[in-house]
Amino acid sequence: MSLQGKHRILMVSDFFYPNFGGVENHIYYLSQCLMKLGHKVIVMTHAYGNRSGVRYMTGGLKVYYVPWKPFLLQNTLPTFYGTLPIIRTILIRERITLVHGHQAFSTLCHEALMHARTMGYKVVFTDHSLYGFADVGSIHMNKVLQFTLADVSQAICVSHTSKENTVLRSGLPPERVFVIPNAVDTAMFKPAPVRLSNHEIVIVVISRLVYRKGADLLVEVIPEVCRLHQNVRFIVGGDGPKRVRLEEMREKHSLQDRVDMLGAVPHAKVQSVLVTGHIFLNSSLTEAFCIAILEAASCGLLTVSTRVGGIPEVLPDDIIVLAEPDPNDMVMAITKAIDLLPQIDTEEMHNRIKKLYSWHNVAKRTEIVYDRALKCSNQSLIDRLPRYLSCGAWAGKHFCMVMIIDFLLWRLLQLWQPDRNVEVVPDSNLTSGIWVQMRMRYNW
Amino acid sequence: MDSHLHKSSSHTTHKWQKVAYGGMQPGFDDNHTDESFLEEMIMNANVVKRDLVKVILDAVSISQYLCVVALVVLVWIYTLRSIFSEQSLLLLDIALLGWGFLVVLLTAEMLSFGLLLNYILRTSFFITGLYILSPIYHTLTRSISSDTIWALTASLVVLHLFLHNYSSSTAEALEFSTFMNNISLNVSIVSSLLVASRLPSRLHVFAIVLFSLQVFLFAPFVSYCIKKYSFRLHLFFSLGLMAITLFFVYHLHQLLFILLLSILVFVNLVCPYWLIRIQEYKFVINGPWDEAKLCFNITE
Repeated sequence: MSLQGKHRILMVSDFFYPNFGGVENHIYYLSQCLMKLGHKVIVMTHAYGNRSGVRYMTGGLKVYYVPWKPFLLQNTLPTFYGTLPIIRTILIRERITLVHGHQAFSTLCHEALMHARTMGYKVVFTDHSLYGFADVGSIHMNKVLQFTLADVSQAICVSHTSKENTVLRSGLPPERVFVIPNAVDTAMFKPAPVRLSNHEIVIVVISRLVYRKGADLLVEVIPEVCRLHQNVRFIVGGDGPKRVRLEEMREKHSLQDRVDMLGAVPHAKVQSVLVTGHIFLNSSLTEAFCIAILEAASCGLLTVSTRVGGIPEVLPDDIIVLAEPDPNDMVMAITKAIDLLPQIDTEEMHNRIKKLYSWHNVAKRTEIVYDRALKCSNQSLIDRLPRYLSCGAWAGKHFCMVMIIDFLLWRLLQLWQPDRNVEVVPDSNLTSGIWVQMRMRYNW
Repeated sequence: MDSHLHKSSSHTTHKWQKVAYGGMQPGFDDNHTDESFLEEMIMNANVVKRDLVKVILDAVSISQYLCVVALVVLVWIYTLRSIFSEQSLLLLDIALLGWGFLVVLLTAEMLSFGLLLNYILRTSFFITGLYILSPIYHTLTRSISSDTIWALTASLVVLHLFLHNYSSSTAEALEFSTFMNNISLNVSIVSSLLVASRLPSRLHVFAIVLFSLQVFLFAPFVSYCIKKYSFRLHLFFSLGLMAITLFFVYHLHQLLFILLLSILVFVNLVCPYWLIRIQEYKFVINGPWDEAKLCFNITE
C-alpha cells in the first residue's frame, strides 16, 4: 500500500469498452485493481455510436464518453486545442492528481497529455505496441510520440523489447521507462474440468485474420501439419480480410473435416473455445506483448508461437515452444509440441500462471510509478520549453509554438470560466444509496 | 537465523532476467536498465557504401537523358520557326530509325531474326497508324491560344523529366508498368502532340510526332543496349551528346545555354558530392522489435 496517500487518476485513451482488445482490457482491469487499492480512477474516451456522456461501470468506475466521434481507425479528429475545455473541466471537477494516457496511436491520449502538462498535472504514458522506423507513417508517429514524451513524468512499457523500441523512437532516458507487463484474469480463464483425451490433438488459433497476425503463415502451415500428423484437428476463430485465403486453402486440400472455421468469437466465449484444444498456435509477425498466449496458458494449453517482439519474455521456456516466422520451422515446433503434450498438466499450468501474473501485482507496480511521478518537481512553462526545443531543428521550434499557444488558451479559459466556478464532484460511496446518488447526478 | 541469512544472500545474488513473468524481480526496480539493453540492435545493416567516382559515372546517364530531351525540344523550336522543312524532318526520322536499329543489332547479344522481324513489323504498324491519325493532331488545338500551348508544353516536359525512370541499368527498368513510368511516358506523348498541333501542314505534323515518339519511346531501350554492351561506349556517347547539345543551345540562346550548363554541372558534380556527404548521417535501426518479413511470396 502506498504510504503517500491515495491518487486520483484519469485514464485517457481512444480505446475502451465497448471495443474489445488488449488496450481496452488493460485499462479496465488496471482501473479495477487500482480502485481496490483505494485510489480513485476516472476513464475518458470518445463517444461510441450512441454511447455518449457519463457512464458507471463495475465498482463505480466512472467513464466519460466525450461527445467526439472517431474519424479514422477509432481515433478522434486531432484538433490540437479542441479538447482543452472539456479536459480542463474534467480535471477540475474530479480533482484529478495524475493523468495516465494509453497507446501511442491514440490522438485523444496525446492531446490530453499535452493539455495536462500545460495545466501543471503530472502525466504517465503507457505504450502498448511496437512500431518501425522506416516508413512514412512510422516516422510521423514517432515524431508525435517524441513531442508527447519530451515532457512526460514517467513512461511504462509492457515488455523489455517494447522498452527498447520506445526509448529508440522517442529519445527518452531509459531510467524513466518502467516495464510493467499485462496480466490475465485467471478467474475467467480456467482449464476444462475434465481432461481432454490425447488420441485426437486439437490445435486452436484465435486471432484477427490480418497480415500482421501472420494469417499467411497459417495458410502454409496448416496443410503441412495435417499431412504430417493424421490425428490433428484445427479450430480457427476470428475474422478478417485473410479469411478468404484460409477458406481457399481448406478447399484446395480438402480439409473441411479437419479445420473448423468459427468466425469472429466474442470475448466472453473465448474461454469456451480455448478449453476444447490441446495446443494454441500464434503466428503473429509482430507483438509487443501477446495477451492471447497468456489466456491460452491460463486455460492449460501448450503454446506454439513465432519468436517476434516481446513474445519470448511472456512465458517460461517449458510451457511455450518458439519458432522462427518460417513455415518449416513452425511445423517442426508443432511436432515438438505434440511430443511434449503428455507431460503437460493443465491444472498445474493454470496455477503457475496464477502465480506468475496477476492484475493486482500490475496495479501495485503502477502505484510505485505514480508515486515516483508525483515526486517530480513542478516546472513553469519557461523551464519546460527547452525540452521541446531539443526535439529537432524545425520540429522543436514548432512544438514550442504549440505549447505556448496552448498555455495562452488555457489562461484565456481561466479568465472566461474561472476554476472556482467549475462544480467539483463530491466523493460518493457507491455501496450506500447508489441509486439515489445516480438519479441526483443525472438531474442537472 | 541461518535460513534467514541464506534467504537474503540468495536474494542479492539473483540475476536480472529479461522476462516479463513473475512480477517485480527481487532486488531490481521496474525501471532497471541492464547492460544488455539494446544489445540486439543492429545499425545500418544493409546500407551500401558509395564511392564518389562511381556515383559521378552513374550520374552521366541522367545528364545523357537530359541532353536527349533538350535536343528534342531544339528540333521542335527549329521546326516551329520553319528552319527545318518537312523533308529534312522526314530524313531525320528515317536516319534516326536506321541508326537505332543498327545500334540494337550490333549490341544486343541474342537477337534472332524472328525478334528483329517482330520489331520491324511493330514499328511499321506504329508509323502507319501515326500517318493515318496526323490530320486529327493537326487540328487538335486550333481553338486554344498559343500561350497556353507553350506553357503546357513546358510544364509537361519538366514533369516528364521529374518522373522519368533513370535507372536503366537493369532489364526490369524497361518495363513500362509502374505508375510513375506510365505518367511520364504519357506526359511526353501529350507534350509532343501539343507542339505538333501548331505546325502548318499534315506532313509536318506526321514528321514531328514520329520524331518525338521515336525518341521518347525508344531512347531508353537504345541507351540500355549501349550501356550493356560497353561502359566506355556509353560514356563516349553521352559526352558527345552533351557536347552537341551545348553547341546547338549556345547558338540558339545564351541564357538557355548557361542554364543547361549549370544543370549539367549540378547533376554530374554537385549532387554526387552532396549524396556522399549526407550518407554519413544514415542511421537504419533493426532489432527484435521489427515486423518479421515473410520469406515466401503470397500467391492470391
